[in-house]
This record gives sequence, structure tokens and C-alpha cells, in this order.
Amino acid sequence: MRFMQVAATACAVSALAVAGLAAETAWFPRAAGATETPAPFTPPAEDAIPAGKFGDEVRLGEQIFREPGEHAAAYVGNDLRCSNCHLDAGRLAGSAPMWAAYISYPAYRSKNGHVNSFQERLQGCFRYSMNGKVPPLGDPVLVALESYSFFLAKGLPTGEKPAGRGFPALPKPALAPDYARGAQVYAENCAACHGADGLGQSADGKVVFPPLWGPRSFNWGAGMGSIKNAAEFIHANMPLGMGGTLTPQQSWDVATYIDSQVRPQDPRFTGDVAETRAKFHDNPNSMYGRTVDGAVLGDPKVTPPAGTVPASKAEHK
Amino acid sequence: MDRNTAKAHIHVMTGCSNTSAWWGFVGMGGWMSRAGLALTLALLAPAPVFAGDDPATGATVAMQPGSSGRPACAACHSADGAGQADVGIPRLAGLHASYIADQLGHFATGVRANAIMAPYAASLSADERRAVAEYFAALPIPAPVDPIPEPVAKLDRGMALFQRGDARTGLIACTQCHGPNGVGVGSFTPRLAGQSGPYIAEQLHRWRAGDIRDPRGAYMRAIAARLSPADIEAVAAYAAGLKTGETIENTAGGKP
Ligand code: HEC
Ligand code: HEC
Repeated sequence: MRFMQVAATACAVSALAVAGLAAETAWFPRAAGATETPAPFTPPAEDAIPAGKFGDEVRLGEQIFREPGEHAAAYVGNDLRCSNCHLDAGRLAGSAPMWAAYISYPAYRSKNGHVNSFQERLQGCFRYSMNGKVPPLGDPVLVALESYSFFLAKGLPTGEKPAGRGFPALPKPALAPDYARGAQVYAENCAACHGADGLGQSADGKVVFPPLWGPRSFNWGAGMGSIKNAAEFIHANMPLGMGGTLTPQQSWDVATYIDSQVRPQDPRFTGDVAETRAKFHDNPNSMYGRTVDGAVLGDPKVTPPAGTVPASKAEHK
Repeated sequence: MDRNTAKAHIHVMTGCSNTSAWWGFVGMGGWMSRAGLALTLALLAPAPVFAGDDPATGATVAMQPGSSGRPACAACHSADGAGQADVGIPRLAGLHASYIADQLGHFATGVRANAIMAPYAASLSADERRAVAEYFAALPIPAPVDPIPEPVAKLDRGMALFQRGDARTGLIACTQCHGPNGVGVGSFTPRLAGQSGPYIAEQLHRWRAGDIRDPRGAYMRAIAARLSPADIEAVAAYAAGLKTGETIENTAGGKP
């Protein structure tokens, strides 16, 4: 056994030497965005989850967060996971981490015009990001997610905005964000994983690269449907593992591209696209109601329905 | 070993003795001893038929030496495409055809620098590279060999990195690109489960040293820069021990 390993090493080393590749400099990508500022807060490690009933709830919350389609099926209407957008299972600073969110509620939200509890905020992500159904307040799914978030926030003071909340702000682009340039950025930097058609890729029956648009992605009411949010998230975190390598301009362009595609209807749809835009999308960060490639985004003729939880799963719960 | 397998090995023998340029590296250390065993067994088979100069089929390239003295792929990667895990020769069976073809192309052009593979890949036409890639891709994934025994702590560290990454260094989990338990995703990421541990480790060490490979190597350099040499060994050992079709819980190492 021993000599074989030595031999293998000899082979490897000779191959390296012949090719002149005995290079020493480690190549390390430097994130250009706020991801580089070390997060002042580190959530407790996974093995710090206590034993007992509360610990069980925390663990369940983490499972739901990682695999909502399995553990909260009745409320999930697409192929996404919470952890697809809130990276490292809601721990990563700069991708809207749950510890920062937990201590920031109750809070007033202009999206619905009143003070929201943390559970109500969680409901919003089911309704829009998961294109699903809203779990009722106090539902075991929400209690578990709240417990998990509470656990992650251990020791963080309430009432102040912690560094690392939300996505790192991105400077306005020099040129107006552009769909065609975005398509180019997408083809070069994103399509290998998310697919040229944006529908993502699966292996062994599990979604590995999540869909960015189409019937199994987030709906028109979701936070990621805002070009600004998407540009900030993408700049900090995409391409996966190489966050901070796109320029701000590229991030705005590609965000415009993915947020100009077909996706499920806004659950607040009034029956009229122009009216829905005026009520809920009246800002430059939303493409809802705009015409792209000859089709009006949000037009029911080309738009999959909102909240499409399969009946079988809804009953199951 | 069936008849065809044995045949291929005989061709290999012939190729070896005549063309030292191809096989100079075989003489090193104990490398020969394992290959030698397979070759000796192969001698029991009937006499070979040499391939002509016509564009070869995938099976021909895989199983028979070329007229230029190029050895058969099977000489190193085995007739069943299993490779030789313990000496770092990668398994090809079950990799995506376009992934194999891309790598052969990169060896041929030097984009992926590898002294052993370069002349081999360059001696094949693009059609032959595609054909042999399809041949190996279509082979069933061979039964896993028993992995090299490793300390539990090393496998546990490997599992943590593979399944969860490491938030402190910004390392994402291997599964985030290579799929659940490293089964590979389409043509983009190769299957890692059950791949040769020494091979995986060598690739990671090279990326860590800034090696240029294909354009996708940019991802892997970013990943490897976040791994210590010990972490590379740990994650490679864990991946090598992953068995396809098994869940995380009952493969090598402790609980996820
Ligand atoms: C498609 C991406 C996506 C998915 C999937 C997603 N979210 Fe979100 N989430 C966002 C975005 C974007 C924001 C920020 C929205 C904003 O700032 O308007 C957000 C905000 C939040 C917040 C508030 C954060 C804060 O700091 O105020 C919570 C809590 C939250 N999400 C929980 C969840 C949970 C739980 C799930 C799974 C059930 C989930 N999210 C799934 C994109 C997503
Ligand atoms: C190496 C593969 C890879 C590349 C390249 C990549 N992504 Fe991702 N992306 C992922 C994975 C994996 C996730 C889910 C992350 C997780 O679950 O931890 C993701 C998540 C996302 C999400 C949030 C989830 C969703 O479905 O909306 C967006 C938006 C996104 N990527 C956009 C992009 C854009 C834009 C690019 C190109 C600039 C890009 N990605 C390049 C792998 C990749």
C-alpha cells in the first residue's frame, strides 16, 4: 500500500514539474463588495443547538429552511429553498441572514403598510419567494423557523441595524441597466449552472442549481423580483463561490435580464396588469407590466398562476 | 475479465515495450507493479487484432493501442472505466460525455497541462475524442472499491467540508455544485462520489497552486484557495468513500 502511494505521488509530482506548474502563489479571489468587511457577528455553531424540546424546534427550523419542499410542503409552490437566497442556511452576512432579521422585528413595512411581527415577515417569503401558501400565524412551520432564527441571533442586541443585514448596498451603475448587456453577462457567467433557459438543473431528483425564472421560481411579488435587490444579491454572492467578481454594472445588467423574464403571477394581481403595476410595482426596479420581447410581463396569457402548491402536498399537511 | 478486456491489455503490453516515450513514467517506483498484475492476467487471452488508420470508434480508442504507439485508454483507466483509485488514475465511467471530451480537448491544446495525457489526447482527432468520451460515459459505474482506510477525524472533517462548506473561510459545500452526495450535475460538474481520492487531492492541490485548467477551473481555483493542504486530503478521502445511492448518514464518517 505504502509504496503505491509513493509512486502515485511521484507520478503527480513529475507531471507537475514537467509542465512547469510547481507554482506557489495561491490564487485568491478578493470580493470587491461589502462581503469583504468581516461580519461583526458570528451566529452560534450548529453543534451549539441545545438538547431538549427547544433544541428540537431549532433543528426542525433549520431543516425547513434548507428543505422547505420536504418539511413544509403544504406551503411551498416552487422548487426553491429558503437557503437558495439566504445563503449558508441563513447564516451568511450580506445575504439577508436570519440572525439580523430576527432582531429587526416587529417593524413597519411599506410593502403592507403596518407593523409586522417576525412571523408575519416569514409569511411574506412563503407567499412570494416560495410562490406558495401562507402558513397561519402560530403554525408549527413558523414557530420552528422563528426558533431557528432566534437561536442564530444569540447575543445580538435588538433595536439596532446590525452590520451584514440584508444585501450590501451597490453603487448606481454608470450606464442605465440594460437587458441585452445582461443577456451577455448571463450567458457568460450564469448559464452553466442555472441553464440557458434559467430553469436550473437537478441531479438525483434534487434541485442543485435553482431556477431563476419560469413557473418553478419566485413570483412577481418577491423581493428578488426587484432589480435593486437582485443586483445587490448577485454582486455579493454570484457566480456561486466567486462573489464580488462581477462589476456593479454587470450585476445591474444581469439583474435586469433575469427580472425581465416570465415568472408566476403576483398574488396581489387585481385582474389588470396596468393597475397591478400602478399599485404594487410603480418604481424603476420592477419590470412588471413592461413589454419585453413583444410580451407584457405579468400578462395572464404568458404568466403562470401564483401560489401553485400541488393539491396532493397541500392535503398531506 | 472478459475476452475483450483481456485483448485490450495485450495491445497495451505491445504498445508499452515499443514506445518508451509514452510509457517512460511507468517505470517509476512501484507504479508498474499494479499495472503489471493486470497485464500478466491479460496474457492468457488470444492474440490481438491491430486497429487500422481509419477514424477509430470509441470502443477501439478505449480498448486498442493506436498505430502511432498510443496505448489504449483501458491500459490505465481499465476496461470498465474504473481507473485505478489507489494510484490516482481517475474513473471515467459515469462521467458526462461532454465533460470527458472537453478535458481531452484541453489536454490536447495544453489548456489543461498534463504531461501524460497531452500527447495521448493530441493523437486523437476531435471526432475520436468525442467517440471515446461517449464510450466511457455510457459504461455503468463500477462497483466501488474499498476506500483507503482513513482516520475517523479526517473523514469527519472531509464530510463537514463536502456537505456544509466552511463559513469562516467563505467555502461553499462541494454538494452545492456537484449535487447531492457528489453525483455530478449534467455536463457542468463531474461526479465525485467514489472517484479516486489521490486524483481528487492532486487536482485540488494544483488548483490551489493556481494551475490553469479549463474555464470552469476558475471556480475550482476559488474553492481550493480556501482549503488548507490537510483539508484537501480530508475532503478527497471523504469523496472517494462516498457510495452512490447511499444517503449521507450511512456513508463514511459520522453524522452530517
Ligand atoms: C428567491 C429568493 C428568496 C427565497 C427563496 C426566500 N427569500 Fe427570504 N428574502 C429574500 C429577499 C430578496 C429578501 C429581502 C427583501 C427586501 O429587502 O425587500 C428576503 C427577506 C427575508 C426576511 C427578512 C430579512 C430582514 O432582514 O428583514 C426573512 C425573515 C426571510 N426572507 C425569510 C425567508 C424564509 C423563511 C424563506 C423560506 C421559506 C425565504 N425567506 C425564502 C429572498 C428570498
Ligand atoms: C457555479 C454555479 C453557479 C453559477 C455560475 C451561478 N450561480 Fe446563482 N446560484 C447557484 C446556487 C447553487 C444557488 C443556490 C445557493 C444555495 O442554495 O446555497 C444560486 C442562487 C442564485 C439566486 C437565488 C436563487 C434563485 O433561484 O433566484 C440567484 C438570483 C442567482 N443564483 C443568480 C445568479 C446569476 C445572475 C449568476 C451569474 C452572474 C449566477 N447565479 C451564477 C449556483 C450558481
